[in-house]
Amino acid sequence: MKDHELEKIIGALDGKGFSPEAGEPGSHCKELDAIAWMMREEPSLDPPAGFGERVMSRIRAHRPSLWKVLGEALLRPHEVSFHPLNALRSPVSGQECSFYFIMVGVFYAILGVILMVGLHKLGASLVTPGWVRWQPQIALVTAGCMVAIGLYLLKDGKLALRMARIGSLVYLGFALLNGIFVSLEWDVPVSAFMSLLSALIGLPTGFFLIRTIQNCGKRYA
Amino acid sequence: MKQIDEGEIIGRVLGGDREAFAVLVDAYKGPVFSLAFRMTGSTQDADDLTQESFLRAFQSLGRFRAGERFFPWLYTVSLNVIRNHLRKAKALPEGAAGNAVPETSDPSGDAAYAAIGRERGRRLQGYLLRMPVPVREALILRFYEGLSFEDIASVTGDKLSSAKMKVYRGLKKIRVMMEADGFVDDETRS
Repeated sequence: MKDHELEKIIGALDGKGFSPEAGEPGSHCKELDAIAWMMREEPSLDPPAGFGERVMSRIRAHRPSLWKVLGEALLRPHEVSFHPLNALRSPVSGQECSFYFIMVGVFYAILGVILMVGLHKLGASLVTPGWVRWQPQIALVTAGCMVAIGLYLLKDGKLALRMARIGSLVYLGFALLNGIFVSLEWDVPVSAFMSLLSALIGLPTGFFLIRTIQNCGKRYA
Repeated sequence: MKQIDEGEIIGRVLGGDREAFAVLVDAYKGPVFSLAFRMTGSTQDADDLTQESFLRAFQSLGRFRAGERFFPWLYTVSLNVIRNHLRKAKALPEGAAGNAVPETSDPSGDAAYAAIGRERGRRLQGYLLRMPVPVREALILRFYEGLSFEDIASVTGDKLSSAKMKVYRGLKKIRVMMEADGFVDDETRS
Protein backbone atom coordinates (compact mmCIF):
# COMPACT_ATOMS: atom_id res chain seq x y z
CA MET A 1 0.00 0.00 0.00
CA LYS A 2 1.28 3.45 -0.88
CA ASP A 3 1.84 6.05 1.82
CA HIS A 4 -0.84 8.45 0.56
CA GLU A 5 -3.44 5.67 0.47
CA LEU A 6 -2.61 4.70 4.03
CA GLU A 7 -2.82 8.36 5.07
CA LYS A 8 -6.30 8.58 3.52
CA ILE A 9 -7.56 5.52 5.32
CA ILE A 10 -5.98 6.51 8.64
CA GLY A 11 -7.37 10.02 8.20
CA ALA A 12 -10.83 8.56 7.67
CA LEU A 13 -10.46 6.30 10.71
CA ASP A 14 -9.43 9.32 12.76
CA GLY A 15 -12.65 11.05 11.80
CA LYS A 16 -10.97 13.59 9.50
CA GLY A 17 -12.98 12.30 6.55
CA PHE A 18 -11.82 11.90 3.01
CA SER A 19 -10.63 14.76 0.90
CA PRO A 20 -13.04 15.61 -1.96
CA GLU A 21 -10.60 14.39 -4.62
CA ALA A 22 -10.24 11.06 -2.82
CA GLY A 23 -13.89 10.27 -3.23
CA GLU A 24 -16.18 8.57 -0.75
CA PRO A 25 -14.84 5.86 1.52
CA GLY A 26 -15.62 2.35 0.36
CA SER A 27 -17.45 -0.26 2.41
CA HIS A 28 -14.07 -1.79 3.27
CA CYS A 29 -13.01 1.41 5.00
CA LYS A 30 -16.38 1.83 6.69
CA GLU A 31 -16.02 -1.61 8.22
CA LEU A 32 -12.58 -0.81 9.54
CA ASP A 33 -13.96 2.41 10.94
CA ALA A 34 -16.71 0.47 12.69
CA ILE A 35 -14.18 -1.88 14.28
CA ALA A 36 -12.12 1.10 15.43
CA TRP A 37 -15.29 2.63 16.86
CA MET A 38 -16.08 -0.58 18.78
CA MET A 39 -12.66 -0.56 20.36
CA ARG A 40 -12.92 3.12 21.25
CA GLU A 41 -16.27 2.49 22.87
CA GLU A 42 -14.92 -0.22 25.16
CA PRO A 43 -15.11 0.96 28.76
CA SER A 44 -11.87 1.71 30.53
CA LEU A 45 -10.73 -0.86 33.06
CA ASP A 46 -9.73 -0.24 36.64
CA PRO A 47 -7.34 -2.32 38.70
CA PRO A 48 -8.73 -4.18 41.72
CA ALA A 49 -9.34 -2.30 44.98
CA GLY A 50 -6.25 -1.69 47.09
CA PHE A 51 -3.98 -1.81 44.08
CA GLY A 52 -2.35 1.57 44.78
CA GLU A 53 -1.53 0.59 48.35
CA ARG A 54 0.05 -2.69 47.21
CA VAL A 55 2.28 -0.85 44.75
CA MET A 56 3.29 1.69 47.39
CA SER A 57 4.11 -0.99 49.93
CA ARG A 58 6.48 -2.58 47.39
CA ILE A 59 8.01 0.83 46.69
CA ARG A 60 8.45 1.53 50.40
CA ALA A 61 10.15 -1.84 50.85
CA HIS A 62 12.37 -1.39 47.82
CA ARG A 63 16.08 -1.14 48.71
CA PRO A 64 18.29 -0.68 45.67
CA SER A 65 21.70 -2.36 45.61
CA LEU A 66 24.86 -0.26 45.69
CA TRP A 67 25.59 -1.14 42.06
CA LYS A 68 22.12 -0.09 41.06
CA VAL A 69 22.51 3.27 42.79
CA LEU A 70 25.89 3.78 41.15
CA GLY A 71 24.54 2.79 37.75
CA GLU A 72 21.57 5.12 38.07
CA ALA A 73 23.80 8.02 39.11
CA LEU A 74 26.01 7.48 36.07
CA LEU A 75 23.15 6.92 33.65
CA ARG A 76 21.07 9.81 34.94
CA PRO A 77 21.00 12.46 32.23
CA HIS A 78 22.82 15.65 33.22
CA GLU A 79 22.35 18.74 31.15
CA VAL A 80 25.16 21.22 31.39
CA SER A 81 25.29 24.26 29.18
CA PHE A 82 28.72 25.79 28.94
CA HIS A 83 29.85 29.11 27.50
CA PRO A 84 33.55 29.61 28.23
CA LEU A 85 33.47 33.30 27.22
CA ASN A 86 30.43 34.02 29.40
CA ALA A 87 32.09 32.13 32.24
CA LEU A 88 34.74 34.86 32.31
CA ARG A 89 32.14 37.57 32.81
CA SER A 90 28.96 36.33 34.45
CA PRO A 91 28.10 33.92 37.31
CA VAL A 92 28.27 30.26 36.38
CA SER A 93 26.85 27.14 38.01
CA GLY A 94 28.87 24.59 39.96
CA GLN A 95 28.10 22.04 37.26
CA GLU A 96 29.56 24.26 34.57
CA CYS A 97 32.66 24.88 36.68
CA SER A 98 32.95 21.16 37.24
CA PHE A 99 32.77 20.58 33.49
CA TYR A 100 35.72 22.93 32.84
CA PHE A 101 37.86 21.24 35.48
CA ILE A 102 37.07 17.78 34.17
CA MET A 103 37.86 18.88 30.60
CA VAL A 104 41.24 20.24 31.74
CA GLY A 105 41.78 16.90 33.48
CA VAL A 106 40.97 15.00 30.29
CA PHE A 107 43.37 17.21 28.35
CA TYR A 108 46.22 16.50 30.80
CA ALA A 109 45.47 12.79 30.76
CA ILE A 110 45.87 12.75 26.97
CA LEU A 111 48.98 14.93 27.22
CA GLY A 112 50.44 12.57 29.83
CA VAL A 113 49.98 9.56 27.56
CA ILE A 114 51.50 11.39 24.59
CA LEU A 115 54.50 12.49 26.68
CA MET A 116 54.94 8.99 28.03
CA VAL A 117 55.09 7.50 24.55
CA GLY A 118 57.17 10.40 23.18
CA LEU A 119 59.77 10.35 25.94
CA HIS A 120 60.04 6.60 25.76
CA LYS A 121 61.04 6.87 22.10
CA LEU A 122 63.24 9.89 22.77
CA GLY A 123 65.00 8.04 25.61
CA ALA A 124 66.78 5.81 23.15
CA SER A 125 68.60 8.70 21.51
CA LEU A 126 68.82 11.35 24.27
CA VAL A 127 69.68 11.30 27.92
CA THR A 128 66.83 13.12 29.65
CA PRO A 129 67.31 14.57 33.12
CA GLY A 130 65.17 13.48 36.07
CA TRP A 131 62.69 16.35 36.08
CA VAL A 132 61.96 15.93 32.38
CA ARG A 133 61.48 12.19 32.78
CA TRP A 134 58.78 12.92 35.34
CA GLN A 135 56.72 15.05 32.96
CA PRO A 136 54.27 12.31 31.93
CA GLN A 137 53.59 11.42 35.56
CA ILE A 138 53.19 15.11 36.43
CA ALA A 139 50.65 15.49 33.63
CA LEU A 140 48.73 12.40 34.78
CA VAL A 141 48.70 13.56 38.42
CA THR A 142 47.47 16.98 37.27
CA ALA A 143 44.74 15.20 35.29
CA GLY A 144 43.68 13.21 38.35
CA CYS A 145 43.59 16.30 40.57
CA MET A 146 41.58 18.28 38.03
CA VAL A 147 39.01 15.49 37.61
CA ALA A 148 38.76 15.07 41.39
CA ILE A 149 38.17 18.81 41.86
CA GLY A 150 35.65 18.72 39.01
CA LEU A 151 33.71 15.90 40.64
CA TYR A 152 33.83 17.63 44.01
CA LEU A 153 32.46 20.79 42.37
CA LEU A 154 29.36 18.84 41.36
CA LYS A 155 28.34 19.19 45.00
CA ASP A 156 28.23 22.91 44.30
CA GLY A 157 29.17 23.94 47.84
CA LYS A 158 31.33 26.67 49.28
CA LEU A 159 33.98 24.22 50.48
CA ALA A 160 34.24 22.71 46.99
CA LEU A 161 34.74 26.19 45.57
CA ARG A 162 37.47 26.94 48.10
CA MET A 163 39.23 23.68 47.23
CA ALA A 164 38.92 24.46 43.52
CA ARG A 165 40.35 27.95 44.05
CA ILE A 166 43.35 26.55 45.93
CA GLY A 167 43.76 23.84 43.28
CA SER A 168 43.73 26.43 40.49
CA LEU A 169 46.33 28.61 42.20
CA VAL A 170 48.59 25.62 42.83
CA TYR A 171 48.13 24.57 39.23
CA LEU A 172 48.95 28.04 37.91
CA GLY A 173 52.08 28.33 40.03
CA PHE A 174 53.19 24.81 39.20
CA ALA A 175 52.69 25.30 35.46
CA LEU A 176 54.94 28.37 35.62
CA LEU A 177 57.65 26.69 37.71
CA ASN A 178 57.53 23.51 35.65
CA GLY A 179 58.34 25.46 32.49
CA ILE A 180 61.30 27.11 34.21
CA PHE A 181 62.66 23.85 35.67
CA VAL A 182 62.50 22.05 32.35
CA SER A 183 64.49 24.72 30.54
CA LEU A 184 67.03 24.90 33.39
CA GLU A 185 67.54 21.15 33.68
CA TRP A 186 67.57 20.19 30.06
CA ASP A 187 70.19 21.81 27.96
CA VAL A 188 68.85 20.96 24.53
CA PRO A 189 66.91 23.15 22.06
CA VAL A 190 63.71 21.13 22.56
CA SER A 191 63.61 22.19 26.24
CA ALA A 192 62.77 25.78 25.27
CA PHE A 193 59.87 24.46 23.25
CA MET A 194 58.61 22.37 26.18
CA SER A 195 58.88 25.37 28.54
CA LEU A 196 56.97 27.52 26.14
CA LEU A 197 54.33 24.83 25.70
CA SER A 198 53.95 24.42 29.46
CA ALA A 199 53.54 28.17 29.94
CA LEU A 200 51.23 28.58 26.93
CA ILE A 201 48.93 25.85 28.16
CA GLY A 202 49.21 26.37 31.88
CA LEU A 203 48.92 30.12 32.28
CA PRO A 204 45.75 30.82 30.26
CA THR A 205 44.12 27.65 31.58
CA GLY A 206 44.98 28.56 35.16
CA PHE A 207 43.69 32.11 34.79
CA PHE A 208 40.53 30.84 33.12
CA LEU A 209 39.85 28.36 35.93
CA ILE A 210 40.48 30.98 38.62
CA ARG A 211 38.18 33.46 36.89
CA THR A 212 35.48 30.79 36.49
CA ILE A 213 35.73 29.90 40.16
CA GLN A 214 35.42 33.57 41.07
CA ASN A 215 32.30 33.89 38.95
CA CYS A 216 30.91 30.68 40.40
CA GLY A 217 31.47 32.09 43.90
CA LYS A 218 29.49 35.23 43.04
CA ARG A 219 26.32 33.24 43.48
CA TYR A 220 27.12 32.89 47.16
CA ALA A 221 28.00 36.56 47.62
CA MET B 1 -7.74 12.24 34.97
CA LYS B 2 -6.70 14.77 37.55
CA GLN B 3 -4.35 17.50 36.49
CA ILE B 4 -1.13 17.04 38.42
CA ASP B 5 2.22 18.73 38.26
CA GLU B 6 4.23 15.67 37.24
CA GLY B 7 7.53 17.51 37.13
CA GLU B 8 7.16 18.68 40.70
CA ILE B 9 6.12 15.21 41.93
CA ILE B 10 9.02 13.53 40.13
CA GLY B 11 11.37 16.08 41.65
CA ARG B 12 10.04 15.23 45.11
CA VAL B 13 10.41 11.48 44.52
CA LEU B 14 13.98 11.94 43.27
CA GLY B 15 14.62 14.07 46.32
CA GLY B 16 13.76 11.10 48.53
CA ASP B 17 10.01 11.56 49.14
CA ARG B 18 8.81 8.09 48.10
CA GLU B 19 5.25 8.76 49.21
CA ALA B 20 4.89 11.38 46.48
CA PHE B 21 5.01 8.53 43.94
CA ALA B 22 1.54 7.50 45.16
CA VAL B 23 0.10 10.47 43.25
CA LEU B 24 1.53 9.13 39.99
CA VAL B 25 0.32 5.59 40.78
CA ASP B 26 -3.15 6.89 41.49
CA ALA B 27 -3.26 8.98 38.32
CA TYR B 28 -2.01 6.30 35.92
CA LYS B 29 -2.91 2.93 37.42
CA GLY B 30 -6.09 2.68 35.31
CA PRO B 31 -4.50 3.21 31.87
CA VAL B 32 -1.50 0.99 32.68
CA PHE B 33 -3.70 -1.78 34.05
CA SER B 34 -5.93 -1.49 31.00
CA LEU B 35 -2.91 -1.74 28.69
CA ALA B 36 -1.58 -4.79 30.55
CA PHE B 37 -4.96 -6.49 30.52
CA ARG B 38 -5.55 -5.87 26.80
CA MET B 39 -2.08 -7.19 26.05
CA THR B 40 -2.32 -10.35 28.15
CA GLY B 41 -6.03 -11.09 28.52
CA SER B 42 -5.61 -11.98 32.18
CA THR B 43 -6.56 -9.82 35.16
CA GLN B 44 -4.04 -11.60 37.38
CA ASP B 45 -1.21 -11.00 34.92
CA ALA B 46 -2.40 -7.43 34.38
CA ASP B 47 -2.33 -6.81 38.13
CA ASP B 48 1.19 -8.24 38.48
CA LEU B 49 2.51 -6.48 35.40
CA THR B 50 1.02 -3.13 36.41
CA GLN B 51 2.67 -3.40 39.81
CA GLU B 52 5.93 -4.38 38.15
CA SER B 53 5.64 -1.47 35.70
CA PHE B 54 5.25 1.08 38.49
CA LEU B 55 8.11 -0.45 40.45
CA ARG B 56 10.32 -0.35 37.34
CA ALA B 57 9.26 3.25 36.66
CA PHE B 58 10.16 4.17 40.24
CA GLN B 59 13.58 2.52 39.91
CA SER B 60 14.27 4.22 36.58
CA LEU B 61 12.86 7.62 37.48
CA GLY B 62 16.39 9.03 37.59
CA ARG B 63 16.61 8.49 33.83
CA PHE B 64 13.42 10.44 33.18
CA ARG B 65 14.34 13.66 31.39
CA ALA B 66 12.96 16.91 32.74
CA GLY B 67 10.49 18.43 30.30
CA GLU B 68 9.55 15.05 28.84
CA ARG B 69 5.92 13.94 29.21
CA PHE B 70 5.60 11.33 31.94
CA PHE B 71 2.70 9.38 30.47
CA PRO B 72 4.37 8.18 27.22
CA TRP B 73 7.54 7.42 29.20
CA LEU B 74 5.53 5.31 31.65
CA TYR B 75 3.90 3.52 28.71
CA THR B 76 7.33 2.70 27.29
CA VAL B 77 8.43 1.25 30.63
CA SER B 78 5.18 -0.72 30.94
CA LEU B 79 5.37 -2.06 27.40
CA ASN B 80 8.88 -3.33 28.05
CA VAL B 81 7.67 -5.14 31.18
CA ILE B 82 4.72 -6.60 29.26
CA ARG B 83 6.85 -7.63 26.28
CA ASN B 84 9.27 -9.45 28.58
CA HIS B 85 6.39 -11.23 30.22
CA LEU B 86 4.89 -12.26 26.88
CA ARG B 87 8.29 -13.42 25.65
CA LYS B 88 8.65 -15.63 28.72
CA ALA B 89 5.08 -16.85 28.60
CA LYS B 90 5.40 -17.50 24.82
CA ALA B 91 2.02 -19.07 24.23
CA LEU B 92 -1.10 -18.05 26.05
CA PRO B 93 -2.94 -20.74 27.98
CA GLU B 94 -6.02 -22.09 26.29
CA GLY B 95 -9.15 -20.13 27.02
CA ALA B 96 -7.33 -17.15 28.47
CA ALA B 97 -8.77 -14.95 25.79
CA GLY B 98 -11.45 -12.80 27.24
CA ASN B 99 -12.46 -15.14 30.02
CA ALA B 100 -11.55 -12.73 32.72
CA VAL B 101 -12.67 -9.37 31.44
CA PRO B 102 -12.99 -7.24 34.55
CA GLU B 103 -16.46 -6.00 35.33
CA THR B 104 -17.08 -2.42 34.29
CA SER B 105 -20.04 -0.27 35.10
CA ASP B 106 -22.40 0.38 32.21
CA PRO B 107 -23.21 4.08 32.03
CA SER B 108 -26.54 3.47 30.25
CA GLY B 109 -27.78 1.18 33.02
CA ASP B 110 -29.42 -1.03 30.39
CA ALA B 111 -28.73 -4.70 31.25
CA ALA B 112 -29.32 -5.99 27.70
CA TYR B 113 -27.08 -3.33 26.23
CA ALA B 114 -24.44 -4.13 28.82
CA ALA B 115 -24.59 -7.85 27.96
CA ILE B 116 -24.12 -7.11 24.25
CA GLY B 117 -21.27 -4.80 25.09
CA ARG B 118 -19.61 -7.44 27.25
CA GLU B 119 -19.92 -10.06 24.55
CA ARG B 120 -18.49 -7.67 21.98
CA GLY B 121 -15.66 -6.73 24.32
CA ARG B 122 -14.88 -10.38 25.01
CA ARG B 123 -14.69 -11.17 21.32
CA LEU B 124 -12.55 -8.14 20.53
CA GLN B 125 -10.21 -9.12 23.34
CA GLY B 126 -9.96 -12.60 21.85
CA TYR B 127 -9.09 -11.18 18.42
CA LEU B 128 -6.47 -8.92 19.95
CA LEU B 129 -4.77 -11.83 21.66
CA ARG B 130 -4.50 -13.65 18.35
CA MET B 131 -2.59 -10.72 16.85
CA PRO B 132 1.21 -10.47 16.69
CA VAL B 133 2.41 -8.48 19.72
CA PRO B 134 3.58 -5.36 17.80
CA VAL B 135 0.25 -5.06 15.97
CA ARG B 136 -1.64 -5.67 19.22
CA GLU B 137 0.33 -2.89 20.92
CA ALA B 138 -0.41 -0.43 18.14
CA LEU B 139 -4.16 -1.18 18.14
CA ILE B 140 -4.46 -0.97 21.91
CA LEU B 141 -2.49 2.24 22.18
CA ARG B 142 -4.47 3.85 19.38
CA PHE B 143 -8.04 2.82 20.08
CA TYR B 144 -8.23 1.75 23.72
CA GLU B 145 -5.75 4.20 25.14
CA GLY B 146 -6.38 7.01 22.67
CA LEU B 147 -2.74 7.86 21.93
CA SER B 148 -1.83 9.84 18.85
CA PHE B 149 0.19 8.09 16.14
CA GLU B 150 3.17 10.27 17.06
CA ASP B 151 2.96 9.05 20.66
CA ILE B 152 2.52 5.44 19.54
CA ALA B 153 5.65 5.72 17.40
CA SER B 154 7.54 7.23 20.32
CA VAL B 155 6.35 4.60 22.82
CA THR B 156 6.95 1.59 20.58
CA GLY B 157 10.11 2.92 18.94
CA ASP B 158 8.58 2.63 15.47
CA LYS B 159 8.51 5.08 12.62
CA LEU B 160 5.29 7.04 12.25
CA SER B 161 4.40 5.33 8.97
CA SER B 162 5.12 1.93 10.54
CA ALA B 163 2.80 2.67 13.47
CA LYS B 164 0.04 3.64 11.06
CA MET B 165 0.61 0.56 8.96
CA LYS B 166 0.39 -1.71 12.00
CA VAL B 167 -2.92 -0.15 13.02
CA TYR B 168 -4.29 -0.55 9.54
CA ARG B 169 -3.14 -4.16 9.26
CA GLY B 170 -4.49 -4.91 12.71
CA LEU B 171 -7.94 -3.61 11.80
CA LYS B 172 -7.93 -5.62 8.60
CA LYS B 173 -6.98 -8.78 10.50
CA ILE B 174 -9.77 -8.23 12.99
CA ARG B 175 -12.24 -7.82 10.17
CA VAL B 176 -11.08 -11.09 8.62
CA MET B 177 -11.33 -12.87 11.99
CA MET B 178 -14.80 -11.44 12.60
CA GLU B 179 -15.98 -12.70 9.24
CA ALA B 180 -14.45 -16.12 9.85
CA ASP B 181 -16.20 -16.28 13.22
CA GLY B 182 -19.48 -15.17 11.74
CA PHE B 183 -19.46 -12.31 14.17
CA VAL B 184 -20.38 -9.34 12.08
CA ASP B 185 -21.73 -6.63 14.27
CA ASP B 186 -24.47 -4.44 12.92
CA GLU B 187 -22.23 -1.46 13.35
CA THR B 188 -19.71 -2.85 10.89
CA ARG B 189 -22.34 -2.96 8.20
CA SER B 190 -23.80 0.47 8.81
